[in-house]
Amino acid sequence: MINRNKLTNKFSVATANSALTAAILIFLSACSGGGAEVEETPVAPPPPTTGYSGPPPATDDVQAFKLNVWDNLYAQNRCGQCHGTSQEPDFVNLEDINIAYAKANTIVDLTSPKDSRMVTKVADGHNCWLTSDSACADTITSYITGWAGDAAGSSNSITLEEPPEREPGDSLTFPDDSTLFGTTIHPILTENCASCHTDAAALPIAPFFASADVDVAYEAAKSKINLDTPANSRFVERLRGEFHNCWSDCADNATEMENAIIAFAGNIEPTEVDPSLLKSRALFLSDGIVASGGGRYDASAIAVWNFKTGTGTTAFDTSGIEPAINLELDGNFNWVGGWGIQLVDGKAQGSTSSSKKLTDLITSTGEYSIEAWVVPANVTQEGPANIVSYSASTTSRNFTLGQTLYNYNYLNRSSETDENGEPGISTADAAEVLQTALQHVVATFSPTEGRKIFVNGELVASEDVETGGTLNDWNDTYAFVLGSSPSGDRKFAGTYRMVVIHNRTLTQEQVVQNFDVGVGEKFFMLFGISHLVDLPQSYLMYEVSQFDSYSYLFAEPTFVNLNGDALPDGIDIEKFRIAVNGTEATTGQAYKNVIANVNANDYSSETGQLLSRLGTVINLEKGPEADEFFITFEKINGQENPFVEPPVPPASEPEDLPARPEIGVRDFAEINATLSQITGISMANPDVMTTYQAVKQQLPTLTDIDIFVSSQQMGITQLAIEYCNALIEDTSARSSYFPGFDFNAAANVAFNSSTKRDLIYDPLISNSVGTNLTTQPSDTEIKDELNSLTDKLTACGGSCEADRTETIVKAVCAASIANAAMLVQ
Amino acid sequence: MAEVVKRQTKLCKMVTSLFAVGMTLVASQTSLAGPREQAKRIHDRLAGVPPTESVLDQMEADLIGNDAVGAAYRAMDNSAFYSITLKNFVTPWTNEAETVFAPLNDYTATVIGIIRDDIDIRQMLYGDIIYTGNANGLAAYSNSNNNHYEQMEDQALDLQAVLQQSTQSSVTGLEAEATAGVLTSRAAAKAFLIDGTNRALFRFTLINHMCGDLEPLKDITRAADRIRQDIARSPGGDSRIFNNSCYGCHAGMDPMIQSFAYYQYEYNIESDPDGENGQLIYNSEGEIDPVTGTRVQAKYFNNKANFPHGFITTDDKWDNYWRAGQNSTIGWDENLSGNGYGAKSMGQELAHSAKFAQCQVEKVFANVCLREPGNAADRAQIQSMITSLSDNNYELKRTFAESAVYCMGE
Repeated sequence: MINRNKLTNKFSVATANSALTAAILIFLSACSGGGAEVEETPVAPPPPTTGYSGPPPATDDVQAFKLNVWDNLYAQNRCGQCHGTSQEPDFVNLEDINIAYAKANTIVDLTSPKDSRMVTKVADGHNCWLTSDSACADTITSYITGWAGDAAGSSNSITLEEPPEREPGDSLTFPDDSTLFGTTIHPILTENCASCHTDAAALPIAPFFASADVDVAYEAAKSKINLDTPANSRFVERLRGEFHNCWSDCADNATEMENAIIAFAGNIEPTEVDPSLLKSRALFLSDGIVASGGGRYDASAIAVWNFKTGTGTTAFDTSGIEPAINLELDGNFNWVGGWGIQLVDGKAQGSTSSSKKLTDLITSTGEYSIEAWVVPANVTQEGPANIVSYSASTTSRNFTLGQTLYNYNYLNRSSETDENGEPGISTADAAEVLQTALQHVVATFSPTEGRKIFVNGELVASEDVETGGTLNDWNDTYAFVLGSSPSGDRKFAGTYRMVVIHNRTLTQEQVVQNFDVGVGEKFFMLFGISHLVDLPQSYLMYEVSQFDSYSYLFAEPTFVNLNGDALPDGIDIEKFRIAVNGTEATTGQAYKNVIANVNANDYSSETGQLLSRLGTVINLEKGPEADEFFITFEKINGQENPFVEPPVPPASEPEDLPARPEIGVRDFAEINATLSQITGISMANPDVMTTYQAVKQQLPTLTDIDIFVSSQQMGITQLAIEYCNALIEDTSARSSYFPGFDFNAAANVAFNSSTKRDLIYDPLISNSVGTNLTTQPSDTEIKDELNSLTDKLTACGGSCEADRTETIVKAVCAASIANAAMLVQ
Repeated sequence: MAEVVKRQTKLCKMVTSLFAVGMTLVASQTSLAGPREQAKRIHDRLAGVPPTESVLDQMEADLIGNDAVGAAYRAMDNSAFYSITLKNFVTPWTNEAETVFAPLNDYTATVIGIIRDDIDIRQMLYGDIIYTGNANGLAAYSNSNNNHYEQMEDQALDLQAVLQQSTQSSVTGLEAEATAGVLTSRAAAKAFLIDGTNRALFRFTLINHMCGDLEPLKDITRAADRIRQDIARSPGGDSRIFNNSCYGCHAGMDPMIQSFAYYQYEYNIESDPDGENGQLIYNSEGEIDPVTGTRVQAKYFNNKANFPHGFITTDDKWDNYWRAGQNSTIGWDENLSGNGYGAKSMGQELAHSAKFAQCQVEKVFANVCLREPGNAADRAQIQSMITSLSDNNYELKRTFAESAVYCMGE
């Protein structure tokens, strides 16, 4: 993406007059850290039979060139047809390997193979033999890397070059007045989104863009509207891609919303970037300097998928180790911006013939590693869901890296397991290692230490074995597949940013090394601020990458000056923000609280001065080719432009709620306390407490009378009976409560007059209902009910059982205290 | 137990008419009320139990004498106001499930005590205060179990009588400057500081004391600089979810709950998986966590590889980013700075907001009136009670009284 030929003022180690002081060299930390102490020679497949009959390689380096490059490119369907004899440079000269070697040296960069002309030419579209130029370029890079050996990656610095000088361009900005919004977008929102997205909703969910108050709604809606690209508006994306509460057909609703935003944006006059802003020069992502590509440990990589293609249905194996296991994408999948694929409900599978490479090259070493940068879509999939698998079915495999909820699982078939690789190993449940974030996962196997799982550079699972076994039983007819078993079972949903198979066990140091390098393409973006700090060639440099399909990652802003003779000092840089397409980004401002001072003590001519270690995610708007960035400052080098918070819209008047009953019921605890008070029996009475504990959760927990149900009444009854039983069974308590009543009289005698009955009724009514309360039922009404009950219960006449009288009093008591007069408050 | 069941069955069969008896009497409750009926309702709503005849007579006299608030205070002399009404009012705040059936604990007892003693209710979130039971036979307060409070409840002790005020620092040993009212109670720690990342404490404090979950507070325009490393910026591979949803909460929440960076609820997950015998831990000056290398608890470094460029917590400095932007309407106290170190000052930041006072009033209104404030008159009453609360040293008992009077019927 970088076209260095366009740069007019190029600084580099080679062109500067005074070596290192002329340029800022950004050292790749991964290159200097880690790495194996013992160099291993990767086991490569035997070189193809070439039929070469020319003079022998003159040196070992020519031999290395032949094995790694010439043998892979001389074929007629690759480069040999043209560059074999007839066309300069004849770097695959078919008759003399030494001539080919000499010509190849003119178009390769052994210290940085990816920058070789042989690579960039193909990357730019020159006769790639695959359907993806980037796949050919990566494959040739791998060939040259193999040839270069130790020399590759030996350049551990990046030369920063002056970017083009560009003023931030005009853009569409939101008008102050909400009228236009009120006639275009607002009606759709109030009609379809108001049940949640207003502060007056029963369960209000911010932002309140559906508020009936158009000013309130307008302020809340701004961050959901993309004026430049209406289709990228969050309002549209939520309907079209995420099916978020569509009101009829999601596609139609999304179009309706998009058209409304188009109508809104179409009536806004483009405005200049706010002239009061203290702003840097502007850059596109393509103005950045590529910062990635070096430092990985790939000496034993036998299959590599970088997912750079971005289109089509093939993910290319660019390891350069033949045969390439190119994966066919199938089902529901998406290419991910910044390199990657997202499997929603699909898989990426290689042929069994190409997959055989894995068996051939891994069984020859007896060890291997699976390395993947993945983002699991969720923590609910299981099976295990197959992330990376080399298998035949759900019961036969050579290896599988999988997911079960929060765990990574690793199955490997060896002499110590069954043909399904079981028993497998797994990360610990409680550790919840697997997250829905970008994770670097490495599963390794060695015959001496068995299986291990590393996540984000840390060993998180291993096995304590005397031997890991051998891989002699591997089946070379299985298929390599991402995202499911070959049969389509045990689907894994998630995003892959890179997958590598090594035929060596990566050491902890090598795992950490590859984790530290990261994944994806990164750029150093140098935002010009010379005009603000009064010091030529001064820049605020960010490390930037496309984070996923929807955002960029901006990280580690650093002050740099490309003029080695100038020593920055005493420059205040405070509260800066990232701006996209003319305006400061709404979300993701991680540096608006930074207070920094660039000074001679903290500034390094090699690394500049780091202003913040933080990184932040900024929304992608028009796309990585079209989004224009710049930086604004509240204060820089003495100049100030304080940020002014937009006014907060006033809260809208709450809507009235439906009318509720004035009265309610007592809750469980109040019922218990009330019954205790009415009967005089303690709540701590063992029988009462036992019953209360049994029925407590059956009693009302809410006081709303309109949701009271019969089962709650039954609970009240049970509790009331228990209180009444405790009262009547206690001869002292009952004689005190019901003075004058003869509990020893037979039932047909004890209740045979209203006077006798009132000895029971009156204390109960007085205590449970109160007196002289017009809101309570009258004594007459209550006694009518109680008489009816008493008559019914005394109907046994002279044949009643001995304790009938007590039982009737208990029943009358329960009826008196377990009714609505007690319950309602 | 078998005997109880047998008895219940027998009697239930005999009184099947009870339900009908009860329900036929409901209608009469809605008729117009005089002072006596109003007194009855005030008592029912506040104490949860009906008044005695003599109390009802006195309350009726109060009302006739135009001292309705006095009548309400008389109702609150009933111990059931503390043991029943307030216990149930507070208990759901003390656990994540928000169940009212949780046992009495130090959180609940402390709020009840604060209300009983007419202490500024704002102390609830930052005071060096705790209430324990002063009664014979009770297990002593323990940092590692809840027996003291459960025994109070099992014995049906009168909370109005037995609760005794103390400083938290003297009872639990937590240093005074690290206390923050109920936020540093054992019950709150067990419910909200157990496992996780301590964010639960902040969220449930908002729910319980600011009357709103995080959803309505989401503000994606605040700074990103304090969102911790454990928050995936592209969850499931889609950064839109982070930028439009996660961000809105974490940008404001993470710099606030940094105030609890030195706190942890420690328990033995093997022998005590539910943490019943765990206790609140606080890293004092000089106590260094081996994972973080500072006083910050290891949980603040959980899943740090999710986004390595995220914020790394090194101390307990909190900042209230919500003082600007849409959440400035919460009504933050202009006499406070909006930042500080530790739980106490963060608790004060919340408690001194207008929203906190409004929330307390609205909770009491709903508890007493048995409904949410739902019309202009109700909202005016809420405003009136907020003013009254402020004018009366934030004594929440007064709000109960005023709510009961407002809803006593006409």
